[in-house]
Amino acid sequence: MADEIIIVSGLPRSGTSLMMQMLDRGGVPVATDNLRAPDTDNPRGYYELEQVKKIKHDASWLPSMRGRAFKMVSQLLYELPSSQRYRVIFMERDLDEMIASQEKMLARLGKPAAPADQIRHLFTQHLERIRAWLADQPNIAVLSVRYSDLVADPADESARIAAFLDGRADPAPMAATVDASLYRNRKPEATRTDLVG
Amino acid sequence: MVKVKIDPALFDRAKRAAEAAGYSSVEEFIADCIEKQIQRLKVEQDEAAVSDQLRGLGYVE
Repeated sequence: MADEIIIVSGLPRSGTSLMMQMLDRGGVPVATDNLRAPDTDNPRGYYELEQVKKIKHDASWLPSMRGRAFKMVSQLLYELPSSQRYRVIFMERDLDEMIASQEKMLARLGKPAAPADQIRHLFTQHLERIRAWLADQPNIAVLSVRYSDLVADPADESARIAAFLDGRADPAPMAATVDASLYRNRKPEATRTDLVG
Repeated sequence: MVKVKIDPALFDRAKRAAEAAGYSSVEEFIADCIEKQIQRLKVEQDEAAVSDQLRGLGYVE
């Protein structure tokens, strides 16, 4: 496990920043450059690492990440060199909640958003492809974590994540990190029928 | 059925490849290649559209 690289992945607004924060509080060394400052969308920070976006052209920094955790959007997972071993915590969230949250973020950034129906279809297909691809990678172990489960039962979910990391994370401070008040864009319970994963 | 013209040398290579791969005919092999290529292009287009959304959000370059 000490030689493995921990990656928190998923689509934007699926809870990846929360998971990074949890790992940080749980004692897992996290890699972030803090270039992206906290804002309305992520008041506790983004926990991002700029060089992750450049992995297609330069992955030479990856070995230095052994034993540490960083955040990587799902589409970039395809670029991970097979020469390393990874443990991926893959965040899952109701697609409509995620898209609603992304639309708000894009509006705030002054960027256009794809029509919700179209991006929902594209995300669904993308997630199916990435799950199938991950399942075929012998050097990648994956744990799926649903954002809604994390908020509903932080203690149990934190214990599950700590077990996945061979006990390298302390579940108590991880669970204490979860603040249900930050679960915005929540779909009403009665209509939540399409949880992914 | 429609007919498509291809270079004779390419057709010979396709015929040999189809036989080696166990296809029942070169037509079946070529149809399969076209289907796979169409699928690949569709996936590329879809992933490019996903990239556009992710780029807007600042998660890819």
